[in-house]
Amino acid sequence: MSVDSARETLYHRGEADMVATIQNTDVKQEDAHGAVVVAVTSRALFGGDDDDDVSGVGVAFPLLQALQRVNQRLLEKDPAESLLFDVVLITTDSQQQQQSSRIVSSTRHHGLEVSRFCFSSQEDFIESLLTNNVQLFLSTDRNEALQASQQGVLSALLDRQGAPSEQLRVMLCGDAVVRPDAGPAPVSRPAAESFSSRLGEMRRRFGALDSPLSIVLVTSSGDRESCGVALRTLRSRGLGVDEAYCLAGAPRSPILSLLRPHFLLGDGVIGLED
Amino acid sequence: MSAMKPNDAAPTEDSGEEKDWAAAKAFFDNLKTNKPRPPKPRYAVTIAVSSRTLFNMVAERKIYEDEGMEKYVAYQVEHENEPLMPGAAFPFVKALMTVNSRLRQLYPDSEELFDIVLMTNNHAQVGVRLINSINHHDLTIERFCMTGGKSPTGYLKAYMTNLYLSKDSEKVTEAIEEGIAAATMFMPETENELSDTQLRVAFDGDAVLFSDESEIIVKQHGLDTFFEHEKEFENKPLAQGPLKCFLEALGKLQRKFYAKNERITCPIRTYLVTARSAASSGARVLKTLRSWGLEIDEALFLAGAPKGPLLQKIKPHIFFDDQMFHIEGAKDLGTISAHVPYGIGQKYHKEKLIEQPAKKE
Repeated sequence: MSVDSARETLYHRGEADMVATIQNTDVKQEDAHGAVVVAVTSRALFGGDDDDDVSGVGVAFPLLQALQRVNQRLLEKDPAESLLFDVVLITTDSQQQQQSSRIVSSTRHHGLEVSRFCFSSQEDFIESLLTNNVQLFLSTDRNEALQASQQGVLSALLDRQGAPSEQLRVMLCGDAVVRPDAGPAPVSRPAAESFSSRLGEMRRRFGALDSPLSIVLVTSSGDRESCGVALRTLRSRGLGVDEAYCLAGAPRSPILSLLRPHFLLGDGVIGLED
Repeated sequence: MSAMKPNDAAPTEDSGEEKDWAAAKAFFDNLKTNKPRPPKPRYAVTIAVSSRTLFNMVAERKIYEDEGMEKYVAYQVEHENEPLMPGAAFPFVKALMTVNSRLRQLYPDSEELFDIVLMTNNHAQVGVRLINSINHHDLTIERFCMTGGKSPTGYLKAYMTNLYLSKDSEKVTEAIEEGIAAATMFMPETENELSDTQLRVAFDGDAVLFSDESEIIVKQHGLDTFFEHEKEFENKPLAQGPLKCFLEALGKLQRKFYAKNERITCPIRTYLVTARSAASSGARVLKTLRSWGLEIDEALFLAGAPKGPLLQKIKPHIFFDDQMFHIEGAKDLGTISAHVPYGIGQKYHKEKLIEQPAKKE
């Protein structure tokens, strides 16, 4: 990514709480139909120690690097590939909004390929998500994630984890896949199914070995049969699982620290620590 | 070696763990099939078996070796509704299940049971066939890890595994180095008919239950020195070997039967099958076991005679030995054998030092 001076096209910026989206012209804008749009909050990305000019990186940094690696490998296979991750960085409070230029320059400084920056506030960030056709929203704030999920946007919590892996590791909670009749289906269900199918298509670009992304299924309380059903159900939605763990009540945390997922997709919003 | 699991709850045991456990309990209680719920890992004797020891996957393995991973996975998926046939660990697993049903009858609320876990680095797509096969044979295996290529060692520790059985000697060696009892399984051509009411486990002594300290003396200084040494140190207990803790776990379950007056009909029986002779070097072994507070049901001192014929009579569901020479002898006469790659015995074939190839730089 070149670090030339920005030629940002600033969209209309009037009152403080209006939504503004800046395109990052250093990064190729993805084909709107092909890409899988992933939004990450700037709080999740820049939570680390701050330098004078540049923000330190936070929890979401390894995730963004992993997403970039997947894109690189996809483009290696096919330079004309359109099924790529399209990363949008979104601020969800006005305090961060004021730091907009710092956010943009920090992103560049750390070599991150963010295609768009959305500056919004607590009141209207969901509108940003919807306008930008976000297929997955990642935040470190449980309330934000819940709100987005309730509006139909697939959301997941980013938690602090141990040494992150280079490979993008997406963990799915099998108990959710198998028991759709336990209570009302979450509003984000259609979004989850569509995301699964895009992710599955992306995964199929690679073989069983040496894939830059891995799909990990964990069932916590169900029996082996329910795990088998989850595997087949996901397969029918177009998502092939790489690793499967059926715990049947065994403690989750020792296994989680080995699995090192970047995030967990379940019913509603579940954190890794839950 | 591998420590016994702590029995008292750790002060930092999280409520998340209890929530997961309660949810699983509720799940199993609501099942129409009345399938028994797996025990709490902290209290259970956890046996991890690989897919190739549980099932016969020789043909599939050949496809993997000759045609590669993609073809192998595709083949398994294509045949996923055909159940796999039993493998070397299958009789052992069935015997564990028998012990569990006896334990459940006597102690309906106890979590001190065998917990059988499938630990495979197969890809999860192959897992569908494995689950179908477990269903077909009606095995009580509810927990599994399909690691998609990653080493199982970390997961073995996370599951507090008491014994790991695999066909892959590298994984087994890695597990032993991490302090987990483990062995590489070998299937005989023709199997002896085994008891279906009593689990029988046979152990070699040196470098299996005990350390290889005495075996080092035999290999390096000969039998005479060995006999003298053992007599001199008769009262000094030998150090532990990799399978000592597994014997201990079996003993703990045996005592639950004794407590209910079921000693004669106890469905677990253990055997020591050692090349030592009772007269000269056997005493130290028995005294060591006694000092550990462990019982073994039958101690058989062969004084160097081959183990095969004796094992044929005993008919264990599994026989552990550190020397491939004994493993082969046992296997040739129909005993399911498990090699423990530990100690000085790995460098020798019988009494001869195996030529090590020059190490590549």
